[in-house]
Amino acid sequence: MDDVLERPRPQPATPTLDPAEEESSGSEDGGLDWTKLPKVGAVRPVIPKRGEKDFEPAAGGGSGLQAHVLDRARAAMFDALKADRAISSKSASYGIWCPQISRVHVTVARGIHFSAMGHSAARPTSIDNGSTKLQKRLELLPEEALYLIERGALFCWKDIQTDLTGLDDIEGAPMSVQQAFAEIIGKEDLTLEKYQVFAYLRRLGYVVTRTDPPSPSYPVPPPRVGSAPLSFYQRLSSIFSLFTASVLRFLRGSNNWWRPLGISRWIHHDKSYGKVFKSLRVIPAGHSVAPHSSRATPVAPSSPYKIFYNMYKPSTNFRKTIPPQPDFQVVVVNARTAFVPSLYELTELFNVLPEIPPPLPRKRGAPSVVQSSPVAVASPVHTSTFKHIFSWLLPSSTPQPVTSQPRPHPFAALKAGKKNIVIAAVDSGNISFFRFSQGAFEEWPTL
Amino acid sequence: MSLINQTSRSKASSKPSSRRAETSRVYAHPLPIIFPELTYKFLGLSLTRPLNPHCTALFDPLTRSAWVSDSGDATLLWQRGFFGKGDLSRSEPSWSARQINARKMKGKGLTSEEITAKRRAERKQFKLDRAKAIAAAAAEAETVFNEQGRVIAPGIAPDGTRIIPSAATWKPASTSVPSEQSPLDVAPDEEEKIEPIQDLEHLQLSLQEAFFLVWALDCLTILHPETNTSFTLAEIWNTFQNVYIPSSVPQPNIPSPPRFDNPFLVSYIAYHHYRSLGWVVKSGIKFCVDYLLYKRGPVFQHAEFAIVVIPVYEDPEDQANSPFKLQNAEPFTWSWLSTINRVNSQVQKTLVVSYITIPAESRVSPKVLSSPACFAHYSVREVVLRRFIPARMRD
Repeated sequence: MDDVLERPRPQPATPTLDPAEEESSGSEDGGLDWTKLPKVGAVRPVIPKRGEKDFEPAAGGGSGLQAHVLDRARAAMFDALKADRAISSKSASYGIWCPQISRVHVTVARGIHFSAMGHSAARPTSIDNGSTKLQKRLELLPEEALYLIERGALFCWKDIQTDLTGLDDIEGAPMSVQQAFAEIIGKEDLTLEKYQVFAYLRRLGYVVTRTDPPSPSYPVPPPRVGSAPLSFYQRLSSIFSLFTASVLRFLRGSNNWWRPLGISRWIHHDKSYGKVFKSLRVIPAGHSVAPHSSRATPVAPSSPYKIFYNMYKPSTNFRKTIPPQPDFQVVVVNARTAFVPSLYELTELFNVLPEIPPPLPRKRGAPSVVQSSPVAVASPVHTSTFKHIFSWLLPSSTPQPVTSQPRPHPFAALKAGKKNIVIAAVDSGNISFFRFSQGAFEEWPTL
Repeated sequence: MSLINQTSRSKASSKPSSRRAETSRVYAHPLPIIFPELTYKFLGLSLTRPLNPHCTALFDPLTRSAWVSDSGDATLLWQRGFFGKGDLSRSEPSWSARQINARKMKGKGLTSEEITAKRRAERKQFKLDRAKAIAAAAAEAETVFNEQGRVIAPGIAPDGTRIIPSAATWKPASTSVPSEQSPLDVAPDEEEKIEPIQDLEHLQLSLQEAFFLVWALDCLTILHPETNTSFTLAEIWNTFQNVYIPSSVPQPNIPSPPRFDNPFLVSYIAYHHYRSLGWVVKSGIKFCVDYLLYKRGPVFQHAEFAIVVIPVYEDPEDQANSPFKLQNAEPFTWSWLSTINRVNSQVQKTLVVSYITIPAESRVSPKVLSSPACFAHYSVREVVLRRFIPARMRD
């Protein structure tokens, strides 16, 4: 932008807002239309609605009308920025930044923020008689403190290790936002990117906590149940199914790699496209087996792909002291220095994530008809094998009983994947969130 | 009608439902092989023999493809499994149908290519009209501002309606295609147009498709381009891999040792994997990806998934020694991932990254490469990608 244009100018900013401009609601892209802001004096800045883009500069470099509209918008922007940011003294909190332990000790906690931020930690506190004693107090992590300071909700002083006897009645000034950024970024693994992601999600109403507790007193969700190893029965049935599969393959002679198509001329059951496709599935697939690597540690220890935040939707009933299992888990990387994760990095991430059930079909008036039935999500393997055998032997072609439970739509299940990780790639302040899901195409053949 | 062009999907007279039934009938078989109605069945045994057709194709090393010149074979391979692509068409080999159409129907029954051309012309006209309307509205606002000094909302008619057309409101003023002729005019001509149009088009199979048809389905014979004799399966196995060996290798007579990261093998693994799961797999070059997956086929619905094949070397040494510069073997940047994802979400496709592991030569002996038995040592893993928009995931 030209500096000349950026310089504020006195402008009789009394434009009449016409109805057409009011109705044009913003599309997602496009800049802010500052003319939609209330005039100076309006105390609280509001997020403005976006206007419509003009088509192009008129021939000959801008007309009187366009210059007028631009000036008006610019004046409105400066008016909006001129507004004082203020906070009621009743909702301001107070705290002390302790650089040695990278925490802010909250001395006065006010406002709704503390329902989702801060934790109590026991610290040695000196009591009047000179001795020290462990006392619980409310502390904020660096990102939480910085977020509140930036919002103007927390006045934070820096704890300095200087003898101040005799200066008791001097208060000193709280840290400025600039000072807080300079002091706090870099502490307790907090990079600028991680802070930006934290602040963005907090502003949207999400509750964001650390995945790895930075200190033992930091509350974390209870360990997951259900990730127990396979039961004896499950193992037996999986071995049995592997065994039957290999026996069947052997019997049909499809272990001749030059002739993979195993259709028996005699067995009627073989004569279907489903069987043809099934006999062609010869390439190992799926995430159940970790990929081979010639290196002992395929993921470099310096890899940035480590889960950093737990994320809870605003609707989730979050209790600070007993946090539930997170709705999402977030990895934050710098988009300029990190590449998209490798298969090995993703495998490592997926290894610690819980498996989510496939999405259920949306309830509508009529039950949705799902044509193809999933294979792998079916009941235990051995019963289905028996069913297969019976259906070979019995000449009747009775249709399989339709289960009443709604099956997930295969597309929805494929798109949702089995495990999810959110990766936030931050490029100098612009955050691009991607969801990486563990796919399971091998479990949902279309035929 | 069906005499003229039985695959024409835009017959003005037929209802959508009957057209759909016709499509389902024509494309009823997902593979070239056919299982006839059973005649007799006892205790799970039956005597009806599956009918496996036999097509022939000519191997073309320069284009790395196999050409099916016989139109019957070409139609069969397209209708039963959507294999290949007409070399003069977008997908289905419809060149001769288009020519016949152009003569007989004078633009009445349109092939899909013609429909697209018409739509593009209309879209261009719409953009011109819109630009004109916007310019006119701006000029009007300008005049009002200069004369009266007030800012008006441009593009609003006195009755409150918008003058500037949007994609929803714009209608073509008059169809530029001269298709408004009544069908009666054309009818007398039909008898005369007997002189046949020679079909100059061939169906072009990618080597992955050709190998799938030859090896997995056993319904295609591939002829040598010079001798016109048929290849054996083992010869095809070697030839298809050798095509990808860079020509800078000095001695073409001495076969270079087979490698696990041969581009043919890597892309075939992906192709075969999704084919064997029942998907119709087509090239995804138009969407920055390697393959597109269709549920039943391109005539039924749009592709649902876009597959990026990423080879993963189990041993980084193999990658360093490789004569192939495998595409996507180097890690993606975030900007490139965003590019691909943007393109594909724009067309309602879900981006899937498909990792194909390449066995380490230190783990698996390259001897297994002498036959397709090596496929058992590769593996496929998918990762489904989607933009995550926190502002829309709040509840």
